[in-house]
Amino acid sequence: MSESPRPELIVDGFPRKRAHWIELATSGDHKDIGRILVSGALGFLFIAVIELLLMRLQLAIPENKFLSPVGFNRMLSLYGGTGIFFFALPLAIGLAYYVAPLQVGARGTALPRLGQTGLGLWVAGAVVLYSGFMWTPTEAGVNPFAPLTETAFLSNNGVDAWATSVGLATLGFVLISIDLLTTLRNMRAPGMAWRRVPIFAWGATVGSWLMLFIGAVFLAALTMLMIDRNYDGIFFADGSGGAPLLWQHFSWIFFSGTYMLVLIFAFGAIAEIVTAFSGKPLFNRSAVMISLAAIAVIGTLAWMQNMYTAPIGIGWKYFAMLMSLALIVPVGLVVFNLIATLVGGVLRMRAPLLFAVGALSLISIGLAAEIQQSLVAAAWDIKNTTDATAATHFTLIGGAVFGGLAALHYWFPKMTGRTMGETLGRISFWTLVVGVLVTFVPLAFAGYDEGQVIDAYKFFAGSGVDAYNLIASIGAFVLFAGIVISLVNAIQSRVSGPEAGHDPWGGDTLEWFTLSPPEPHNFDVLVDVRSPRPMRDIREAIAHRTASAELPVRESEPVA
Amino acid sequence: MAPHSPGTDQIDTLLVIGFIAAAIVVVVINVALLYAVRRYRSERGAEPRQISGGRGIQFRVAGVLTLFAAVVFVLGIVFTDKARETPATGDAGLASLKSAPLEIEATGQQWLWRYTYPNGAFSYYKLVVPVDTEVKLKLVSTDVVHTWNVPDLAGKYDAVPGKVNDVVFRANDEGSFEGASATLSGQAYASMRTEIEVVSPDEYEAFVEKQKNEIEEAQERVVGLIENGEVP
Repeated sequence: MSESPRPELIVDGFPRKRAHWIELATSGDHKDIGRILVSGALGFLFIAVIELLLMRLQLAIPENKFLSPVGFNRMLSLYGGTGIFFFALPLAIGLAYYVAPLQVGARGTALPRLGQTGLGLWVAGAVVLYSGFMWTPTEAGVNPFAPLTETAFLSNNGVDAWATSVGLATLGFVLISIDLLTTLRNMRAPGMAWRRVPIFAWGATVGSWLMLFIGAVFLAALTMLMIDRNYDGIFFADGSGGAPLLWQHFSWIFFSGTYMLVLIFAFGAIAEIVTAFSGKPLFNRSAVMISLAAIAVIGTLAWMQNMYTAPIGIGWKYFAMLMSLALIVPVGLVVFNLIATLVGGVLRMRAPLLFAVGALSLISIGLAAEIQQSLVAAAWDIKNTTDATAATHFTLIGGAVFGGLAALHYWFPKMTGRTMGETLGRISFWTLVVGVLVTFVPLAFAGYDEGQVIDAYKFFAGSGVDAYNLIASIGAFVLFAGIVISLVNAIQSRVSGPEAGHDPWGGDTLEWFTLSPPEPHNFDVLVDVRSPRPMRDIREAIAHRTASAELPVRESEPVA
Repeated sequence: MAPHSPGTDQIDTLLVIGFIAAAIVVVVINVALLYAVRRYRSERGAEPRQISGGRGIQFRVAGVLTLFAAVVFVLGIVFTDKARETPATGDAGLASLKSAPLEIEATGQQWLWRYTYPNGAFSYYKLVVPVDTEVKLKLVSTDVVHTWNVPDLAGKYDAVPGKVNDVVFRANDEGSFEGASATLSGQAYASMRTEIEVVSPDEYEAFVEKQKNEIEEAQERVVGLIENGEVP
């Protein structure tokens, strides 16, 4: 090297901008990653509802031959995998990854490459699941029980593809959660103590912790399954020391946690919407925050609620019942405080609030049905019937579809700079309400009254469930229509929706302080946070300082 | 489900209790939601009340919720325990059994149930049991997890390979009761059904005797055919 003096400052110029899609695909920006996750999740929502529709077509009439038994089992397995790993979880985590750092006033995330890797793994998981579809998809079910998943019973590569796919996706979620958690812990704006953190960001914190625990458990279980299948392992195989029930424990810990995670993110988003659209602060913030954390812990500890029929001691079943019923207290407190926030407010019944109220209503029906499912002896009758299918779907459609669409309508202006169409939103909302009720109420009755079992590719004539199933299949078409309308609305609004301002709803939290869509660095100025409602403080300060101080701030109607 | 055993009577009661609890939750939440949404729809000039609650009301609400959960939990335990207690064989039941239940092995296999009776006879798909008799099914599996499920007579239980799961029930009435397996077990899962025929003790004893004889006859016939060289 030469000894020539170097200038202290070298300006190479800005790096050349590459094509838009390359920039997006290689971006470490939490907003780009969040957007990809959310749009991908919505795409998979479309695929999942088509799979549901095909299964309902097969089950429209008794002993139908529309799908083969194996074809139905494959559809079922794909539907479960898609719905959980490629719709509900990425939608919740994607929204949180986009919004939560903005809400706490962070200028980016702490470990962006981790988030980027997470997205890559998730995409890889999706590719594996659906490329498996082209040769031999798994036919082992939504939560495939060992030893059906052992090579002795399903020797083709379907189960390997499933395990690889959901394993990659889960690992991706774990990495994103680590980044989100680090950001939320370390990069909050000055003055934003935990007690002032927006409730959705708090939900993201709790949900990320939860994902670290359940993700680890599930990844371990999947690894053991892969060893069993490919390297002569015996973890879940009967005999020579293996234990089929071990898989049930591990997988139910994960799936119960996932159920809670969807609920926690939904409650967080609903809380933001309810406060913004009522103009009130959240009723009893601290109780809601504690309750969300309690839901994560208690709900996951209730995993053996799914194992009431398994050969485990009755004490474990009572423990699971205790945990399931204890969940009434935190969930009840959250719901009570959300409704109490509405009371005394001035409600603007726009699409986000409409979807949020619908989400609360459906979640209440689903969780109420779970109370019945939690009673040990009652579950001996209704467990693994379509009544359980209906309960799960009410909660998860309420949380992930209605809660997700509420959040999408609410944050769409921030993410795209445009507002989602209100009319289509309303049409979609009512179509979806009708679709969910017409599909799953008859299935609940078929399970409760006639004991129709889950996951079966056909039912027999004369078992008294013909009418229930036909109505449910008609309902699935309505559900499909509702989802298509919302997706069309999102795409259309993305292209040509009315331009939104930076703060279209008059929100209280910091994401509304920045541009729509935000610059890569999120904020030019960082605010000093003095309360849980920093944007309201800012608006009040401006109103106070302007000469025309007699004008109340609330008079300024939102732009869109 | 139409209960035909003491155990399923208790299950039925608990189902109703669970249904009432669920109905209360659904009605309270949805009425409150509808009221809030209709009553506080925005009006010109209305100002949102900036109230954020207090500790008192949280503790009261939490207290009510805890009480509700506790009541449901206690009822759950009480009726589950009642459902698990199957009364011993009654007067109309199998007389040869005094205190011990009639033990039958139920083997789940893809995609059939096989029942082995105490005298060594067995039957597929259809289980014949005497009325008013305490029956203990020992559920086992030879391959994957199956769920044995005849809702009119007993609860659901899993047959897990390597484990034994007990189902105890006592049928009140004679008749035929159908059930379908309730855990996905592969291709023909939907067809994996079973039927329990509840008969009088005499008919039961005649059935197992006949079944045993027929199995032995069939066995001898097969051996005979092979020894005579009629089958290779």
